[in-house]
Amino acid sequence: MSVLKIKDVSKIFASGQVRAVDNFSLEVADGELVCLLGPSGSGKSTLLRMVGGFERPTSGVMTIDGEDITHVPPEKRPTGMVFQSHALWTHMNVFKNLAFGLKLRKVAPDEIKRRVDAVLDLVGLNGYGTRHVAKLSGGQQQRVALARSLVLEPKILLLDEPFASLDQHLRERLREEVRDIQQRLKITTLFVTHGQDEALSMADRIVVMRDGRTEQIDRPEVIYREPQTPFVAGFIGTMNLIEGNVANGMFSKAGYSTPLPVSDGPAILAIRPEALDLAVTGEGSQGKVHRVTDYGTHGLVDLELNDATRIKAMVPHPDLFKAGQTVTLTPKAIAAYRDGVVIHRA
Amino acid sequence: MTVSDAGQPVLAAPESRRPIGLLLVAVPVLLVIWLIIWPIISAIIQTLWMRLPEGGDTFSLETYRFFFSDGYSLSNLSLTLWTTGVCAILLLVVCLPIALYLRFSDSRIAAYVQGLAIFPMFVPSIILSFAFIRVLGPNGTVDLLLNAMSLPKIRSPYLTPWGPVIGLVWDNIPLTVLILLSGLGNVSNQAIEAARDVGAGRFALLWHIILPRISNSVLVAISFAVLGIFSAFTLPYVLGPAAPEMMGPFMQRTFRELYEPRTAITQAVITFGFCIVFGLFYVRSVAKNRTP
Repeated sequence: MSVLKIKDVSKIFASGQVRAVDNFSLEVADGELVCLLGPSGSGKSTLLRMVGGFERPTSGVMTIDGEDITHVPPEKRPTGMVFQSHALWTHMNVFKNLAFGLKLRKVAPDEIKRRVDAVLDLVGLNGYGTRHVAKLSGGQQQRVALARSLVLEPKILLLDEPFASLDQHLRERLREEVRDIQQRLKITTLFVTHGQDEALSMADRIVVMRDGRTEQIDRPEVIYREPQTPFVAGFIGTMNLIEGNVANGMFSKAGYSTPLPVSDGPAILAIRPEALDLAVTGEGSQGKVHRVTDYGTHGLVDLELNDATRIKAMVPHPDLFKAGQTVTLTPKAIAAYRDGVVIHRA
Repeated sequence: MTVSDAGQPVLAAPESRRPIGLLLVAVPVLLVIWLIIWPIISAIIQTLWMRLPEGGDTFSLETYRFFFSDGYSLSNLSLTLWTTGVCAILLLVVCLPIALYLRFSDSRIAAYVQGLAIFPMFVPSIILSFAFIRVLGPNGTVDLLLNAMSLPKIRSPYLTPWGPVIGLVWDNIPLTVLILLSGLGNVSNQAIEAARDVGAGRFALLWHIILPRISNSVLVAISFAVLGIFSAFTLPYVLGPAAPEMMGPFMQRTFRELYEPRTAITQAVITFGFCIVFGLFYVRSVAKNRTP
């Protein structure tokens, strides 16, 4: 049972000008995998480094299983971190990289061998013990880095963009493997990424961060389908965010209008490309086709409203559309935001 | 291959560039052969061939036999070895903490510490020697300060074996710090953090992670220091004892005051023999680093 609690944690860097993490709170349940997702500079890596003990919080408290670890140095924390650059020790072979932490804990040599062999087996590197780490591929090095953390059986596993330096294919394969291992070991995990695909495919819950603060914490499908702020709506997946005005229950923007049953005033209309139906002829609001991209399984149509605002629509038959055509737009699902919060969803 | 508008290759093929590369390197190589390799060979030949009174030359190890059976020569050699060894150890003891501090400190003070550590590089040895005498010599600044506080005088290291040691260590700090600092640049912050993450304290970090990663730099720094110290002249001449003396002043005195060029050359060849061992360490280390 390993529960990580972060309460009102802030980090202000020495200059006093940069508030990297601002009053952040989170509870990660036993065996849960939580992704910290956000753009560069959102404070997600700083937060992870604070949990790992590599940065000291300016204020707030962090506990693991109720034990205050806020000021415990990294070498004494029950956490294991996997770094973006693998951070393997190139003067040691694979076995020595994995055995180093166990030797420091004065584990008996037989037990060290048993545990290293077991974890190498777990990450699919059986028989690689004597290999020099510099001669392994990027994916194998990342597996060794993961194994190095797992062999110490940490209470909390911390992953700092571990797949960022790998190619797309390898990244997809490794994230599945890591998720499998995490679920098999039921290890509480905090995972930092700026890749939404990674977060959506791996996490039990996602924390979307912006400027050191939490924008939304929820399950991946909720984050995708019901973003609470325009920032989350724009950051997760592709979203058309149209800034316009509501008058008498009608949202309008540059010739495009749609019913929106909210009070009069400015609003941001959010429509996913897959929730926007297009028709070449017919009644309704109009846009002009700018570009059509055929992805084989579907097509993406770039549209321009009258004031050159660009929006996207996903269509099953892209061959029906051509650049220059005027089309009618019919949204199947919309959300509307005002003052940074959701005011309507349908 | 990049192709220009005219359709001509912008960069020549590696095969056609090879003679130009060899030509560029030929001049310094020839200079090294002329100014270094040939004098060494010539010196060795001069010490091994003796002119007979009746004319003609004969192979002889007489000067070497004399050197290794002469107590004074041997005590000079052992003083040189002792000074070199002590200086090498002290340089590591002094410079490694400085280099570690400079590498891992984010403080602004680090810049001043680095400036201070590099400063001796810009001070000529003769100035350093006189500064040493004025500070640590008899009736120097330290003595005056102690006297002002009614404390007894110190036993000055001036004209003792410790005089050259202090001077040579001070003189070699900049180069040693710079080489170690460059080696420490290869130890990434994440490698350090990963070690702390698995439970390494400061000593384990230094012993298991940092030192193995900078072992080549340590070897290069020590090789450079040893090569310089073994054949040093000015500091041992000005600050060292009259007897025994280090090999540098010993060679100079044998050549200038005793008018025994063949003996002086023999001393030089023996000195070179010791230095080349450390030179080979350096070459081996460089070659190891360049091996793909």
